[in-house]
Amino acid sequence: MLEGVSVVRDGRAILDSVDLTLRERRIAVLGPNGSGKSTLVRLLNGLVTPSKGRVAVDGHDTAKDAALVRRRVGFVFQNPENQIVFPIVSEDLAFGLKHLKLPKAELHRRVLEALERFGIGHLAERQSHTLSGGERQLVALAAVMVMKPALVVFDEPTTLLDLRNRNRIRAAITEMPESAIVVSHDLDLVRDFDRAIVIDQGRVVRDDRPGPAIDWYRAHFG
Amino acid sequence: MIGSLYIGGDSLLHRQPAWRKLLVLFAAGIVLFVVQAPEILAGAAVAAAAILATVRPPLRALRRQLTGVAIILAAIFAANAVFADWGTAFAMLFRLSTLVLLALAVTMTTRTSDMLEVVERVLQPLERTGLVNAARVSLAVSLAIRFVPEIFARYREIRDAQAARGLAGNPVALIVPLVVRTLKSAEEIAAAIDARGFEGAHPSGSASGRTGRQGGTAS
Ligand SMILES: Nc1ncnc2c1ncn2[C@@H]1O[C@H](COP(=O)(O)OP(=O)(O)O)[C@@H](O)[C@H]1O
Ligand SMILES: [Mg+2]
Repeated sequence: MLEGVSVVRDGRAILDSVDLTLRERRIAVLGPNGSGKSTLVRLLNGLVTPSKGRVAVDGHDTAKDAALVRRRVGFVFQNPENQIVFPIVSEDLAFGLKHLKLPKAELHRRVLEALERFGIGHLAERQSHTLSGGERQLVALAAVMVMKPALVVFDEPTTLLDLRNRNRIRAAITEMPESAIVVSHDLDLVRDFDRAIVIDQGRVVRDDRPGPAIDWYRAHFG
Repeated sequence: MIGSLYIGGDSLLHRQPAWRKLLVLFAAGIVLFVVQAPEILAGAAVAAAAILATVRPPLRALRRQLTGVAIILAAIFAANAVFADWGTAFAMLFRLSTLVLLALAVTMTTRTSDMLEVVERVLQPLERTGLVNAARVSLAVSLAIRFVPEIFARYREIRDAQAARGLAGNPVALIVPLVVRTLKSAEEIAAAIDARGFEGAHPSGSASGRTGRQGGTAS
């Protein structure tokens, strides 16, 4: 869905003529720090728009139809601190749903359903700033999933978490039926994926099954 | 003081719609400033305390909320006692206490989102003038409520870190990292809000999606 995409900032190409069609159910994006991974995945929901080329999701150009694209593509960021925007957890999940003008009972039901899916129904009435890092990341994930996106992009979702919380997020990603594109240094998480893309200096340098891609990545950057 | 004061529960007050509570609070405010008799105002303060008690607020939260206010009230009382007279001082003390207790009862039983919904509705007529975007105002308010406690936490963290490095009491060492971290989060928070498809960011909805669907070629 990316055609000849370049992203130029301050006269420098952060991404350089990238062509990719992403259809697999589980795709990993690997690469060293600063290689352009975040920029690549931010293209997928129009947070970044290409300087050259075109990005489309299900035929919708991300530069023109950002709102439409964002309804299909959910996004979970690295830092769990900055994704929850409402003071109470259940309010945060209701935030996106508000536009859908659902009846109150239906809205409440969907909020609880999304929280329970990740085993955090008990956090519904908690104040956001009292949550632990792992709880925050699960809430952020629930807040994305409550909108029922077809695809969820994760940008290093486990990097800032401790081992136990990392395992909870890993399990959540592994078990969800939706498609996922995951930027991660967590090679154990992505080993069973369908495809792995390695980025270096703004270019796709390897595009393969995770096994060989990880070996190649280790050999070149390990 | 800032930060959501909401405390979950199922009291009579919890079950009232937000607009009704805010309306009563507003009306009480007007009445309280019309009434001058300290005896009546004392009765009102007792009633307000009783109303607050029905909410069953946790004592710890209550003490935290009320100590600061008590100090301010004491200062106002003292000033009135010195510059006016005892009657005025007591009237003012009871009046303000009543208001504080009622306001606390409302904020402890009303979710921020419900309160903001009322604000959004009240702002709607202004929105037609094009000067205000109600959805944005309410998002801004909830962001403030949500992140002020985080900024305080961050402030304490940086203060401790600087103290550990022997930089205690150096305001530059405190403020610079605090501002930098806060700006960095602001950027991330903005991206997160965008990613979740907040459309109030585009007044009249023309900037994204609704009018720009000419690019429908297959991918
Ligand atoms: N808005 C921007 N302006 C200028 N440089 C940027 C911007 N966004 C990213 N960069 C730079 O582009 C490079 C790739 O960034 P990023 O996509 O975040 O990499 P990664 O996620 O792989 O660490 C980095 O060198 C970064 O400093
Ligand atoms: Mg990154």
